[in-house]
Amino acid sequence: MLKSLLTKLISGKPPLPAALCQTAHFSTQPQPQERLQSFRSSENNPLNHKDDHIGLFYTITSDVKKQLFLYGGLPKTYQTQLNTFNETCLMIRKPSVDIINCLKQVDYSNPVVRYVVYGAKGNGKSLTLAHIIHYGYEAGFLILHLPWVGNWMRRCRESSISEFKPGSIDINLDAAAWLVHFKHQNSHLLANSDLRTTQDHVWSKRESTPKDAPLSELVEHGINRIKFASQCIVILAEEIKRLSTAGKCKTLVVVDGFNAFFYPHTRILTEKKEVVHPKNVTVTEAFSNLTKFDWTNGAVVVAVDEIAIAEKDQISHLPRYLLGRDGFDHMDPFVPVSVPTYTKVEFQSCMDYYRERRWVLPLDGQDEELQFLSAMNPYRLMILCNSA
Amino acid sequence: MLIKPSNVVSKLQLISIYFQQNSMSQYPIYYIKPIYSRDKQNKMLKTGEAQKLAHIPTRAALNDQTSSVYHNDTINLFINYVMKDGKKSLARELIEKTLEKIKRVQLEKYHKMENIKEKEKVELNPRIILYQAIVNSQPILHLTPIKRGGVTYQVPVPITDRRAQFTSMKWLIEAGKDKDRNIRFHDQLAYELIDAANNRGKVVKKKQDLHKQCEANRAYAHYRWS
Repeated sequence: MLKSLLTKLISGKPPLPAALCQTAHFSTQPQPQERLQSFRSSENNPLNHKDDHIGLFYTITSDVKKQLFLYGGLPKTYQTQLNTFNETCLMIRKPSVDIINCLKQVDYSNPVVRYVVYGAKGNGKSLTLAHIIHYGYEAGFLILHLPWVGNWMRRCRESSISEFKPGSIDINLDAAAWLVHFKHQNSHLLANSDLRTTQDHVWSKRESTPKDAPLSELVEHGINRIKFASQCIVILAEEIKRLSTAGKCKTLVVVDGFNAFFYPHTRILTEKKEVVHPKNVTVTEAFSNLTKFDWTNGAVVVAVDEIAIAEKDQISHLPRYLLGRDGFDHMDPFVPVSVPTYTKVEFQSCMDYYRERRWVLPLDGQDEELQFLSAMNPYRLMILCNSA
Repeated sequence: MLIKPSNVVSKLQLISIYFQQNSMSQYPIYYIKPIYSRDKQNKMLKTGEAQKLAHIPTRAALNDQTSSVYHNDTINLFINYVMKDGKKSLARELIEKTLEKIKRVQLEKYHKMENIKEKEKVELNPRIILYQAIVNSQPILHLTPIKRGGVTYQVPVPITDRRAQFTSMKWLIEAGKDKDRNIRFHDQLAYELIDAANNRGKVVKKKQDLHKQCEANRAYAHYRWS
């Protein structure tokens, strides 16, 4: 008897016992094909995205993705998702289409318009910005993209005392990393011979950048001499403002987590272990300079985010609270753009996309349940679908 | 004659004096267990069985008993086996991450395949992989120490279904914990589950070793009876 049992076991897989056979209703059923494809847009160029495309997914080619988002710009969880899905798709949503429409129609001879993107956690602010960056790339803007201010103010790699401005703190490693990001994102534009410095810049006794040197030389200097990286960003911001006002280039400034520039409790410490206020950090100067409206031929899109500040102060997601009085005064007047949760159409399209990618297996009553559990919040939906 | 619900309750309270209480339970013994599955509820509503239960006092559902489409008893059991110190939310999170990892690994395989027919063969449902892994690692025999004439023999004995399931789940969880410090439990568990579902890996090896040991000790099998 023993032997027969063993031979039975070795000969092949035992059948599933009845208790485990509840799996039957999990089986993959084929979905109707025409419904599956209704969530994809054939229009992959953000220049042509209009209100009709809202709720559809469009594909970013891997070359563009590599150029724009190699050093950050897509949230980490979304990046893992993209690796699994084997393609880069973004949903076209109302806030980004609205901003793109504005960017198309605005008169660039007027002072820059500031857009403030806001919304609850996980509503898709960063991906809205990603869509706008892609638009800026296609429309030929010079992109100044700061992927996450929280990395500078709350988890910077090192800090030192500034040589150029007494009482200021440099975060040179992060600044140099950002310069690499800037150089990589705009590699196609920096070759343009119009982009030249308008002033002499003296770094030290022996080092200086002369007038009419190409902008790329300035950036290169900041990367090679990490000691000057922070100051380089300040100068770069000033130069770019002048260049675009002179009409040499169109500039798009995109900052995620912008409110961290106005939140007093940073994690940067001086040598005496005192907390540094963001206005005393050198790089803040560059970006507060860029977000002023005293220049033309550009646009500024910033996102304010609760996650960029300390957890104990994450009370509201509205710009007035997050920017504080100083920040609000600095940004005023601006165009507020709210990023809401998914609408019914967007939710359906997202679920169809997940099903087409085989990420979620079709199951009766699944959409309704996930809709309630996620409260239509895109990030919550993504997390719920991970284990579904 | 119709009995008003309030009458029923008072009668039941009366009866409860004579009933023996569940020693530590907050519910008297005549409380029935809740039926939380939506399918079962619908079936009972159709057959009219639900009407019979309408006025019988019912226990509240436990916090892992939901009418979710993803509810599954086997997985709940597995979560309970993973749980330590009553930290159920942590255990549930770990299993959710395991399922996620399985999906990611399998989808990667799926995208690597070039042939459509081969693609269809890749199992993308993490739950099915989990069940298959549990089934594949179930032993059919185990060794029990039995003392005869002052000597303890390891006697091969058939194993009950429930015990076999418990053993296989225990082995899988142990295999998940047996890892490098810089690998997460849920990742390791996912790899082990995929291996076991394909009849490979540590756990299936362990099962086969046990069977070999049983085969070697077959001479002692009669000690079960005598």
